[in-house]
Amino acid sequence: MNPFYLLVSAALFALGAYGVLARRSAILVFMSVELMLNAANLALVAFARAWGSLEAQAVALLLIALAAAEVAVGLALVVAIYRTRETTLVDDLSELKG
Amino acid sequence: MSLLDLFLGALLLLTGFLAVRLKNAVHAALALAANFILVGVVYMLLEARFLGWIQIIVYAGAIMVLFVFVIMLLYAAQAEVGADPLPGLKPLAAAVGVVGFLALTYAFAGAKAPLAAKAASAALAGGTAEALGPLIWQTWLYAVLLVAALLLVATVAAVTILRPGEGGGR
Repeated sequence: MNPFYLLVSAALFALGAYGVLARRSAILVFMSVELMLNAANLALVAFARAWGSLEAQAVALLLIALAAAEVAVGLALVVAIYRTRETTLVDDLSELKG
Repeated sequence: MSLLDLFLGALLLLTGFLAVRLKNAVHAALALAANFILVGVVYMLLEARFLGWIQIIVYAGAIMVLFVFVIMLLYAAQAEVGADPLPGLKPLAAAVGVVGFLALTYAFAGAKAPLAAKAASAALAGGTAEALGPLIWQTWLYAVLLVAALLLVATVAAVTILRPGEGGGR
């Protein structure tokens, strides 16, 4: 099989993991999570291409819809936190007290 | 692996790197949008044409617009200013990324495709909506219904979280 795009997807996933850990703004952390989700999708499509199976493409389609739902809730949470705390930096949100 | 594959892979890594490194959130969002469009192009190359268009419409269109909109709404374009409270974190995060990449590569190395590339390509029928439709509306119907319900719940949740007054907004 052609493993090139699997390597690319692994690298994108690693970049996303780096972003999640290193970014300080909640929005940018969230964007890195999207990068990781997308890398997983790319791996699914690459595997579908190698195995000749459309099932993985159907799963990838469902994953895109799931990512849309996740973004809606996540960004709503970021906006709600900004309303009460006036910050989007995750370091400022390190206490459990509301 | 053709020259086009190499070119697209390099662009994907470059835009992904920029998306996690650029200081300005709007620039990072644009790099991520470019990354998503490139992924859509790669999908089309990998015999997933319908998915490629969905990727461009949903990810590069809807999701990225939502991100840029929230960045504008919260004045978060220059969010990462001021002193870094955890200065030693970035190299550590990079190490975690490298370890993750090596682990994934190791996991992928064991994969052996059962079909030749030509036969696999024929089985996918281009990954058009026509080929994917029966699978989605028959085999995966319940999953599609569940995801649809989840999308509805997520929409209601987003509206509820941001409703002024009780709960979220104060």
